[in-house]
Amino acid sequence: MLTYLFRRLATMVVSMLVISFLIFIIIQLPPGDYLTTYIEELKAQGEVVDPKKVEFLRAQYGLDKSMSEQYFVWVSGLLQGDFGYSFEFNLPVSEVVGDRLWLSMVLNFSTVIFVYLVAFPIGVYSATHQYSWGDHGLTFIGFIGLATPNFLLALILLYFANVWFGTSIGGLMEPRFVDQPWTYDKVMSVLAHLWVPVVVIGTSGTAGMIRRLRANLLDELQKQYVVTARAKGLSEGRLLIKYPMRMALNPFIADIGSLLPQVVSGSVIVSAVMSLPTTGPMLLSALQSQDMYLAGSFLIFLAMLTVVGMFVSDVLLALLDPRIRLEGGLRK
Amino acid sequence: MMRVRGLFLGVCIAGFACGVSAAPLIEPPSLVEQVKAGKLPPIERRIPLEPSRVEGDNLKPGQYGGSLRMLMGRAKDIRMMIVYGYARLVGYDRHYDIVPDLLKSVKVEDGRIFTLTLRKAHKWSDGHPFTSEDFRYYWEDVATDGVISPYGPPKALLVDGKPPVFDVIDETTVRYTWPKPNPFFLPALAGASPLYIYRPAHYLKKFHGRYMPADELNAKVKKARKRDWRALHFSVDRQYRNDNLDLPTLQPWKTATRPPSDRYIFKRNPYYHRIDVNGRQLPYIDESIINISSSKLIAAKAGSGEVDLQARGLQFKNYTFLKRGEKRNNFTVRRWLTAKGSQMALYPNLNATDSVWRKLMRNVNFRRALSMAINRHEINEVVYFGLALESNNTVLPNSPLFEPSWQKRWAEFDLKKANQLLDDIGLTERDGQGIRLLPDGRPLEIIVETAGEDSDQADVLQLVTDSWRKAGIKLFTKPTRREVLRRRSIAGSTVMSIWFGLENGVASNTSSPEELAPTRDGQLNWPKWGINFQTSGQGGEVVDIAEAKRLLELNAAWSVATTAEQRTLIWKEMLEIHADQMFSIGLISGVLQPVVVNNALRNVPLRGVYNWDPGAHFGLYRPDTFWYEKP
Repeated sequence: MLTYLFRRLATMVVSMLVISFLIFIIIQLPPGDYLTTYIEELKAQGEVVDPKKVEFLRAQYGLDKSMSEQYFVWVSGLLQGDFGYSFEFNLPVSEVVGDRLWLSMVLNFSTVIFVYLVAFPIGVYSATHQYSWGDHGLTFIGFIGLATPNFLLALILLYFANVWFGTSIGGLMEPRFVDQPWTYDKVMSVLAHLWVPVVVIGTSGTAGMIRRLRANLLDELQKQYVVTARAKGLSEGRLLIKYPMRMALNPFIADIGSLLPQVVSGSVIVSAVMSLPTTGPMLLSALQSQDMYLAGSFLIFLAMLTVVGMFVSDVLLALLDPRIRLEGGLRK
Repeated sequence: MMRVRGLFLGVCIAGFACGVSAAPLIEPPSLVEQVKAGKLPPIERRIPLEPSRVEGDNLKPGQYGGSLRMLMGRAKDIRMMIVYGYARLVGYDRHYDIVPDLLKSVKVEDGRIFTLTLRKAHKWSDGHPFTSEDFRYYWEDVATDGVISPYGPPKALLVDGKPPVFDVIDETTVRYTWPKPNPFFLPALAGASPLYIYRPAHYLKKFHGRYMPADELNAKVKKARKRDWRALHFSVDRQYRNDNLDLPTLQPWKTATRPPSDRYIFKRNPYYHRIDVNGRQLPYIDESIINISSSKLIAAKAGSGEVDLQARGLQFKNYTFLKRGEKRNNFTVRRWLTAKGSQMALYPNLNATDSVWRKLMRNVNFRRALSMAINRHEINEVVYFGLALESNNTVLPNSPLFEPSWQKRWAEFDLKKANQLLDDIGLTERDGQGIRLLPDGRPLEIIVETAGEDSDQADVLQLVTDSWRKAGIKLFTKPTRREVLRRRSIAGSTVMSIWFGLENGVASNTSSPEELAPTRDGQLNWPKWGINFQTSGQGGEVVDIAEAKRLLELNAAWSVATTAEQRTLIWKEMLEIHADQMFSIGLISGVLQPVVVNNALRNVPLRGVYNWDPGAHFGLYRPDTFWYEKP
């Protein structure tokens, strides 16, 4: 088990290095840099920009250095906990990100919980009542959830939440609470706003999860040990919880790894559409204006989340299911 | 001389000196506490000895209070408060005349000697006096300082590459003297994004190598994690960015929220220099609030009543949606005029690298034929509910230079004539689908590149595609990105592109006509000629069309012209050349700008002009004079 952990950790480090390199290349791929974008904007407003001043600014921002040099500066900074400097905000990246990081965590965590809470009972019900009206009905709703574009659902829900409940459009709280200390009212306001993005981001994940759970459980329900248990007179409910359900839990945990990046990337678009104070919209605008250190830090953070999610799910699986542990041992 | 009205009346505008009995000053209620506690001096000692007294036929004196909520798409848009606040040394009034504002008066001699007089006892927002020292600091320690400005003073301060002679006359008077007239100076000071020729010296000296001991300064540099003191000075000294809370200001509102945030609050500047006829110090409104939201959501949020004054981020196509929210949310949507020469215009690239295309684009009859094969009436009816202007790319009817013939010349929909012109050029061969063939046998397929930002462009181009087809021309739209579009057009890869028309459609003879001549690399119809001008002949290509050369000559003549008549004549000839030569093909203009205004807000004009420069969006109407009627 220890060697297993060690190997997994070592791969993680290597993946993070490769990812950091890829991120840097991809951010640099579009032609030009932050200044080109910035100057275009000035020009669009009819301002005339002196070419000599552009050169001066480029040197100020350190954009005149070679790409490998810039990469090295960035990565060595990262290792020391220095995320670099945001051109657009004229502040260190760590200050810019601030509250956003943990608000995104709250959002993503709530979404994962929402997915589990909704998917689990529905999945079990669908499997145990296969081909019933209930199963068909829920499957139908699930597929609609899977097929509707997130952003469309977001806009529709926002509009009706505003017209019916008077919830302000976009954001995670009423404007008057922004930058205020946390109070009971502020928390309530966040909760009143949180459900829309959670539902929107969660729908497709929920639908997928229901399908997987249903399929797995159906497999298990056909197995002989279920027949044996039933023959021994175990009640249906107890039987279900005690044996096949435990087996069917595997994908639930294995999914943590894939669900996290899915939720996080899904939330970027939805957050941008709904203008949430999370990392998503800022990442998007940073990429658009080629504010490279800010964008890079976000991407590294997302990559980290994915890699850690994968690690956690692997470890949990290994703990939970002796077959995985033993197979690992046998192969050696 | 220049059309600079009222510059010499400065003394009389400030009622005190003229002996007009002044109403007693009224302390803003929101500041009373601070004054009582001794944190602020009373109002008599805060405003200048000769404050700017605001009066006007269309201004109703108001009352204090309230907050003004607005929405912006990105955090850096908090600079819009500098634009809306519009406290400038000199600024445009509603007739687009330049009048003194922060300054008490400006005296211009021969168009080259500018004497600026400050108001006595005028103060920065931190209470420190605003004096000629602030001008000296900018000129000696910033603009001409070898460390801070290795590239020299900004262009608007140079005439033929030569800087002015700068003199401090006394504590409230400074003088700039150029060897030749500088018509760009005052408009630059009055700009939406103005030229700042003053700095809060008392604050910035703390960051300047000449005034601070090296070790103390190095500590600051290190703490701010900057490269050197120049970078530090640069980052704290950006009045336009409006994100440094410690930087004193002269604007009506001062940033009170430290970035980053999604909600910025701007508090009243207790030392602001303007008062109304009843002795109330402006601004009436105590605080402005900018909420940052995705720009795509601005219309939805404005429609649900989350703003008190909003135009940025709203487009004409949002009009009906906004209108529906009016009753429920107690606001009114006003339709303001815009001031761009065209909402969109096609730019044939006369510098295209492909020789066949270049030859064709340079043929004036080809450009005319393209224009005449466009049904502008249809565009207006289909996309703009018939509320826009079917006009070529020229000045708008409310510009003093306007002539109706420029709107319509070569811009009436006439397929027969267009086809005739194309036939006469020799484009008579056609392929199986009826598309004309280029001389080298390729089909006449014009790819119009767009910046891909405006969905209206796609709709309009679809209509153009349909009517051009009938003239045997095929149009393809290629959405790219703004920077890519620029780069491709400069490289000559673009054959045709679509962009806004003239930046200043309400130009008067004092506005610079340089955007009519090949002077910038950003001009999509002749970028290489623009570069040639910008680099003084070193880069790009030399202008080789007589009419474009004439435009350059006229542009040069304008900057040395000495009378208003000469300037008007130059402008008219340039506009005439454009109307006749169709260097750009205007599609539609006068598209209205929806403005959401809270029903209780007063002094916002019913029908204003929404323009960047001149105009500074709302700045021209001085939001410091807006106020709330209490229910």
